[in-house]
Amino acid sequence: MKVQKKKLLLVDAEKCIGCFGCDAACRMEHDLPPGPKPFKVFRIGPIAEDGTFRMHHRAVTCFHCDQPACVSVCPTGAMQKRDDGIVFSDMELCIGCQTCAVACPFGIPELNPGTGKIAKCDSCRERLDKGLWPACALKCPTGALSFGSPGDVVRLRRGDHAVHIVETFCRPQD
Amino acid sequence: MPQQLQLKRKSGTRKANDRAVRSVCRECTVGCGLIAYIQDHIIVDVMGDEEHPVSRGRVCAKGTDFVRGIRSPERIMFPGARNRPSGPFAAMENIEKAMDGLADALKRVRDRSGPGALAVGCDPEAGLDFYLGARRFARLWETPHVYHPLDNPIDNPFGHPANDPGNKPLYQEGTSALTAPTAPCTEWEESGSLFLVEADPAATHPVAFGKVLQAKARGAKIIAADVCFTATLSKADLPLLIPPGSGNLLGMVLLKGLMELDGLDNEAAAAGLDDPEGWRATFENFSLADGAKALGLTPEAAVGICRMLVQHAPVTAITGKRLAYQPDAGVWQTLAAAAGWTSRVGGGWYPLEAGRPRLAAAGDIENPRPGGREIGFPYQGGSGADAPQGIKAVIASGNCFNDFFLPFKVSTREMDLIVHFGAFANLTRDLAHMILPSALWPERNGLCFSNDRGIQFGPRLVSPQDACQTGLGFWMRLADRFGWGDHFPWRTETGRADPLRFYDWVLARNPDTAGLTVEALKASAPEPIFWPLDRGRGVKRTSPPFPTDSGKIPPAPAPEKISLPDGGTAQTQDMG
Repeated sequence: MKVQKKKLLLVDAEKCIGCFGCDAACRMEHDLPPGPKPFKVFRIGPIAEDGTFRMHHRAVTCFHCDQPACVSVCPTGAMQKRDDGIVFSDMELCIGCQTCAVACPFGIPELNPGTGKIAKCDSCRERLDKGLWPACALKCPTGALSFGSPGDVVRLRRGDHAVHIVETFCRPQD
Repeated sequence: MPQQLQLKRKSGTRKANDRAVRSVCRECTVGCGLIAYIQDHIIVDVMGDEEHPVSRGRVCAKGTDFVRGIRSPERIMFPGARNRPSGPFAAMENIEKAMDGLADALKRVRDRSGPGALAVGCDPEAGLDFYLGARRFARLWETPHVYHPLDNPIDNPFGHPANDPGNKPLYQEGTSALTAPTAPCTEWEESGSLFLVEADPAATHPVAFGKVLQAKARGAKIIAADVCFTATLSKADLPLLIPPGSGNLLGMVLLKGLMELDGLDNEAAAAGLDDPEGWRATFENFSLADGAKALGLTPEAAVGICRMLVQHAPVTAITGKRLAYQPDAGVWQTLAAAAGWTSRVGGGWYPLEAGRPRLAAAGDIENPRPGGREIGFPYQGGSGADAPQGIKAVIASGNCFNDFFLPFKVSTREMDLIVHFGAFANLTRDLAHMILPSALWPERNGLCFSNDRGIQFGPRLVSPQDACQTGLGFWMRLADRFGWGDHFPWRTETGRADPLRFYDWVLARNPDTAGLTVEALKASAPEPIFWPLDRGRGVKRTSPPFPTDSGKIPPAPAPEKISLPDGGTAQTQDMG
């Protein structure tokens, strides 16, 4: 069996505006009813700070842990980890007992009331298997979400910093 | 400038489909490109169009979630009526019977209260065809009361009611947001700074705001001013909290500050403004200190902002819709021209939600409005104090009563007839005596007039249910019942509404787009066709002429006194 290469979803909080584009993309891709949110978007603030305000947005989804607690505790073997690192729940085996939801330290798995089974991010594994990006990263309107190999993602991050440094310190003033 | 790195995006769908349709999102006026995947007449997936020059594959939550709306259980699918706005609607036999009932009810209102007792609220959800159809029907009916939130006072023809409640000629060219050379969002990465005033595109236009963040990553300064701390302000290098109703005053203070810093571009001002010296003289008695104080700023802070703009040119000013309804709204166009922003790529003025085309052409049936003079738009009067009196019947599309039609809501109890032309159960439907289901934008052919002044054709993605009408079909059917069918000639051979003929007519009657056709727009996809006003788009501009007789604009003068609307308060902020 061919071993899948590991891919990463990069979440750049500086670019997140809390628009829920990722949430909408995920719900369409997986046909989820209102309720479960594999992609959770949090707004923190506005908080008064140093005479002004601060507001932050955090888009949070499954971390696809190296040693996932949800997989360890699943009584039916529905929750699994693929060779490429994706943690997913097999709908054929899931009985909706929510043991995984209790075990997850981040509260990621949720019950889908439409199916009575667990809904969680599976990195759009069916899309990945067709060579496509996950829906959330493709649709993100600001580029806060990017997807690629660990090497690509690190290069992107370094490149962003390099551009920022050049523009901040090397740009001629008008 | 160094290029930003991007990972190679891989778009498409995994879902089974029998066709993919390239279209354009009409949820707002950014005009993002979409690819809809359709299976058995149902949209199974939507992705951004990677080739689209504005959105480059990005879409926001609205551009995805519209699919749920089409098949929502909340959708209104059949016409209904009830005697009073409570209790269940009785389903009507079919759409023709419903339109007969509506015509009879309207006749009764006109016999009892006169033609001016009818008002029409045009929610953008109903489409441009509903609005234009309403204008034409209202002219025949002889009521002046047709309202659309994109009826922008500074777009003229009506002028700002607070400035001049009297007659104004149609198209006082140059004071219009629509006739101003715009600063397309596709060029913002060239901006030195972006100044957002009472605009929250992070919430309302996320794809366009993505370009603000791209510009920021490339070193542009982001300055954002609003009456509360928004998601847009949270991303700004310099967030400013200003009192309610003071956005345009901020523009005046910037103008005065730039004058004092000698930061205006005299050459650009001479090229763009009628009588620049006379205009400068109007600012002699305008006090920067007083203006800054009214904004809650110290004079030093105001000058500091101006200095930042001078250092980080070119500047694009992005203004929110509310500013258009307040006095001195013309200041932004003046500022962009006088400071020389307009003449540079990455600079200028970008009024949000100003993408609607110019509509009037001399002699068309719906102009001038009946009643001898134009009427002010009561948008700001949430209390209803400035709403027109004597309205007894309302045809409201979308959810007008929860938005710009709020001033009318206080008098709904005195109304004899409220008709909801919409797709979803909402407040407007709750107030209605009669409901008529409307087609949603994915169910109708239409044009998208974007903020970038791009015009795009969006084909119908799926067919509407039988009882769901387009806006054009609604007015056509109603006009037929009054013998005015000849005034709605855009029909197919079988007598149904023909939106393609209608939009060809819209393009032809607008002097900016004459010669353009729907067929040409179809052939241009995914590239939108940009308005002829934006001559020179994408290349270095040199003081483009304004589309007026003289090629210049009458500049916005300084206000004689500084005042804020009721409720406006200011606390001085020292920006350090």
